[in-house]
Amino acid sequence: MTDIHVSDFRPLQRRSDVHGISRPSLSYWEDAWIRLKANKRAIVSLYLVVALLFFTLLGPLIWTVDPGLQDLDQISQPPGTDRSAEIVADYIAWDGVDPSAGSGARVIDVPTTQVVRLKWDSLPGANGHRVYRNLFPVGNEFAYGIPVGEYFDNAIDFHEDRLDLKPGRYFYSIVALAADGSVTQTYQTVEVDVVRVTTLSEAREQGLIQTDSDLQIGDSINLSAHPLGTDYLGRDMLSRLMAGAQVSLSIGIGAPLFFVFFGVVFGSVAGFIGGKVDQFMMRFADFVVALPFLLFMILFKIAFGIGPGESGIMPMLIALVLLMWPATARLVRGQILQIREQAYVQASQLLGAKTNYLIFRHMLPNTLGVVLVTLTFEIPKAIFVEAFLSFIGMGVAPPTPSWGSMSNEGIKTMLTTPHELIFPAVFISITVLAFNLLGDGLRDALDARMRNQE
Amino acid sequence: MGWYIFKRLIQGIITVWFIATATFFAMHSVPGDPLLNDRAVTPAIRANLEAKYGLDQPLLTQYVIYLGNLSRGDFGISFTQENRQVNDIIREHFPVSAILGILAVLFAALGGVLWGSLTALYRNRLPDYIIMFLVILGISVPSFVVAALSQYSLVTLNNAVGQTLLPVAGWGTILHMLVPAMVLGLSTMAYLTRLMRSSMLEVINSDFVRTAKSKGLPPARIFTRHQVRNAILPVITVLGPQIAVITTGGFVVEIVFAIPGLGRFFVEAVQQLDYTVIMGTTVFYGAFLVFMVIVVDVLYGFIDPRVRLK
Amino acid sequence: MSEALNLANNPMLLEVENLAVEFDTYGGVVKAVRGVDFSVEEGKTLAIVGESGCGKSVSVQSMMGLIHMPPGRITSGSARLRGEEVLGRNELNGKEIRGAEISMIFQDPMTSLNPTMTIGDQIAEPLQVHRGLSYRQAFGEAINLLEMSKIPEAAKRAKQFPFEFSGGMLQRAMIAMAISCKPSILIADEPTTALDVTIQAQILDLMQDLQKETGMAIILITHDLGVVARMADEVAVMYAGKIVEHGTVDDVFYRSAHPYTLGLRAAMPNNDPARQHELKPIEGSPPDLFAPPKGCGYCARCPFAMEVCDKHHPQDYFLGDHHFSCCWLHHSDSPTKPEELYFKENS
Repeated sequence: MTDIHVSDFRPLQRRSDVHGISRPSLSYWEDAWIRLKANKRAIVSLYLVVALLFFTLLGPLIWTVDPGLQDLDQISQPPGTDRSAEIVADYIAWDGVDPSAGSGARVIDVPTTQVVRLKWDSLPGANGHRVYRNLFPVGNEFAYGIPVGEYFDNAIDFHEDRLDLKPGRYFYSIVALAADGSVTQTYQTVEVDVVRVTTLSEAREQGLIQTDSDLQIGDSINLSAHPLGTDYLGRDMLSRLMAGAQVSLSIGIGAPLFFVFFGVVFGSVAGFIGGKVDQFMMRFADFVVALPFLLFMILFKIAFGIGPGESGIMPMLIALVLLMWPATARLVRGQILQIREQAYVQASQLLGAKTNYLIFRHMLPNTLGVVLVTLTFEIPKAIFVEAFLSFIGMGVAPPTPSWGSMSNEGIKTMLTTPHELIFPAVFISITVLAFNLLGDGLRDALDARMRNQE
Repeated sequence: MGWYIFKRLIQGIITVWFIATATFFAMHSVPGDPLLNDRAVTPAIRANLEAKYGLDQPLLTQYVIYLGNLSRGDFGISFTQENRQVNDIIREHFPVSAILGILAVLFAALGGVLWGSLTALYRNRLPDYIIMFLVILGISVPSFVVAALSQYSLVTLNNAVGQTLLPVAGWGTILHMLVPAMVLGLSTMAYLTRLMRSSMLEVINSDFVRTAKSKGLPPARIFTRHQVRNAILPVITVLGPQIAVITTGGFVVEIVFAIPGLGRFFVEAVQQLDYTVIMGTTVFYGAFLVFMVIVVDVLYGFIDPRVRLK
Repeated sequence: MSEALNLANNPMLLEVENLAVEFDTYGGVVKAVRGVDFSVEEGKTLAIVGESGCGKSVSVQSMMGLIHMPPGRITSGSARLRGEEVLGRNELNGKEIRGAEISMIFQDPMTSLNPTMTIGDQIAEPLQVHRGLSYRQAFGEAINLLEMSKIPEAAKRAKQFPFEFSGGMLQRAMIAMAISCKPSILIADEPTTALDVTIQAQILDLMQDLQKETGMAIILITHDLGVVARMADEVAVMYAGKIVEHGTVDDVFYRSAHPYTLGLRAAMPNNDPARQHELKPIEGSPPDLFAPPKGCGYCARCPFAMEVCDKHHPQDYFLGDHHFSCCWLHHSDSPTKPEELYFKENS
């Protein structure tokens, strides 16, 4: 302490600003926004929500494929499939003649997505034959696959398969039938690699080539692009997902906007009036809560009915609003009751504030945070309900796409073409996830009680 | 406590009446005559129903008859299955749903408490991050996707092993119940885990845990007697409504796993517009849920002395 | 100085030296306790006084291992119980200290007891854990302890839950629980702040009675100078994470040496009509402990601040055997002395 001088012991000359605390004071919303920004998960979710809105609203303007258009050359195509197809002549029926005169079960000509021509020699002891098609070898369990043709006459020894062919490998089995027409264990299998083809007329129809194009049979062209593949009816997945997003999000965001608003009005009226009216109103809310939710969603949906040509979005919206408002109403009422007892409200009242002033100046602004958080959490719930109902066939009416109904269709072909289930499911999951995380972030940012917790 | 239970029961009965009334008027506002627009109604059933519900009578009379039947526990006759009592249908299919539901609730509650406590104790460390990530997944992935995926993995697993380790669908043995119950309870478990975690964090920071520490109690004793015991209370309060979520969520699982439960039957009835079955099942489910909530609340009273003694 | 003397004559029961505690928070690191020394003798009462947030609770709670780490952190210091180091661990020679050697009661009895356990069970717990008593024995002992704490119908009350007790009763139960294992030190962290004034007096009386009976030392944390005057043998005045004045009750009250103590006293009502004075609040607020000042923490609010106060932290100046003050006014170069100020204030 050698640097201390007698001169240091003069009285301290204070500047006038010494007293104030230097930290700037923040308003409630500024403070919340800073907290939200510090929460990485919430911010990523916020970006995700914005991206989803872009996808839904602007996507269809960029990717203008009609979600109802069927591309029969590309049915249930996973994304990234090679789109090139050879042009072949139009289909002409086959008379079963084998120009090469081979023997045993065999393929005639090049197997294409247009037609696969099979020929065989009659199997020993057969009373006719049945033709099966499978994606896997038959194996020990005699899993032949799906039947594609049946001939009770041994004299017919050929079959043309034109059913829903996709490029790839098939295992065709010619199975001998017993005298009573039942399937035996005598069979022969042919492995077939099917090539994607199209015809000039089809290509013209789809606008893939100009009418005056000089493409010849044997040339190869690219079929229309489907970035996310196609569904079981050959419809473009990407455009359907966009259309489905419009349906799912308009229900998922629209319904909560309505019922949260209704809940706020109901709850604040009950909370503000209090007494008998409050008792009665909240008892009614209790009854609505007690209704078995999904059963009543279905019941209301039936009761409102879906007329021909309607999408079924409106009945779902109404049913959601009718059943989901009480949670918000209870919450807001609780908040109002709490705020009413606060000293600052009583002080304001003593200073002569009118009812309107109390409601709009003190009560509603102070419930706004809670309401915003509730809204964010109700959105994923509503999206789930839509998906759930569409999944069990009680949602929007086909052909209107929604993520739930697309999942419902996709689950049927889950084992062979999983992308038809995975894409809508991923969209539902990401949307729900984003709103949930955003809600968490908002709650942590807005709710003072939770502030010290995480 | 006795008075409390009595009061709750009376409230419950009023609630069931409300549910029955809402069901009745919802079904009667379905456009068209319920008997005309259905192809499967035979003259025999038609006669039965008209007599029973007085379908030719004014709406209010029908309502009174309907309530009278309900109070005797009679849900009526199926529209589509000739002369089959709805009561029989419920008796046959509900136990399946109930067993599935109970297993799912147990799975969800035990899992939720366990994982929730773990994440709170390991807050902001690796186990917390991993479990909470899975929890977020469990909340965000729709149940039908989980059901489909788990069935797909079962198929793959069985194929890989070369024998049926766990049945892919159907009902019968405990093995049939395992995977569907887990799928059914998953989202509830995720929800309860979150709830338990935040409740546990609150308790960990509470004054009485600080007191317990200042008494020099061993951590295991603090955990069981002071932390879990208090943190579990909010979990129990939501268990009643969660049972509702689980039982109605059973539809999807029952459909995907081909389980002959009431949920699947209900969906079929809805698709066939079998009015009495729809009404009967709704009221029955509603009553079941209302009383489950009461049971859970009474149970809660035995755990939380503040409720029990008031 | 007298430390050696103290050790020889009257060994200190608990000695805390240079204790410093920090917290990592959302806004940065808070240096809540910045080098604190205090000690307490057997059977005596030490009061730690200071305003909210000055670090008095954190000091004792960190010593008891009650702060969450993280975010809390003991950065330096030592605490010796009968000469043995106990800081940062909760056991001595394999035995738990907390609840057995040192026990603690808290500010809010309403929230400090487990709402789902009976009072008796909670009092019995330390006996079961530290004394190895069976549940039945421990519960019986709990009833005795409740009687000692002057709770009527103790046997019936022991079977009740905290919500069935009033605040004062709960604090009695807390005390019964704290003394159950006959600790040598009872730390009372603002034991009467949450209670009515009439109940406060009863609780303080109870603590004094029990101290006489058991001979335990009490560390009393409070911001109420009235409670200090009534209870304490020694007083430590804490400000902004440091002890600024320490001494016997008489030293601190009648020979106040630190301007902060003077300020506290000027802000305290007096029921002696002859010495009535207008209450004077201390202007301003305590320094931001996110960035503690380089000089004296009280400088910004001190009416006697000098230029040196803003630049350098003062050392402790001993004014008597036990009495020290941490203030530049005691420096030989200082133009004024606190004694003069003190008399001026009282004139």
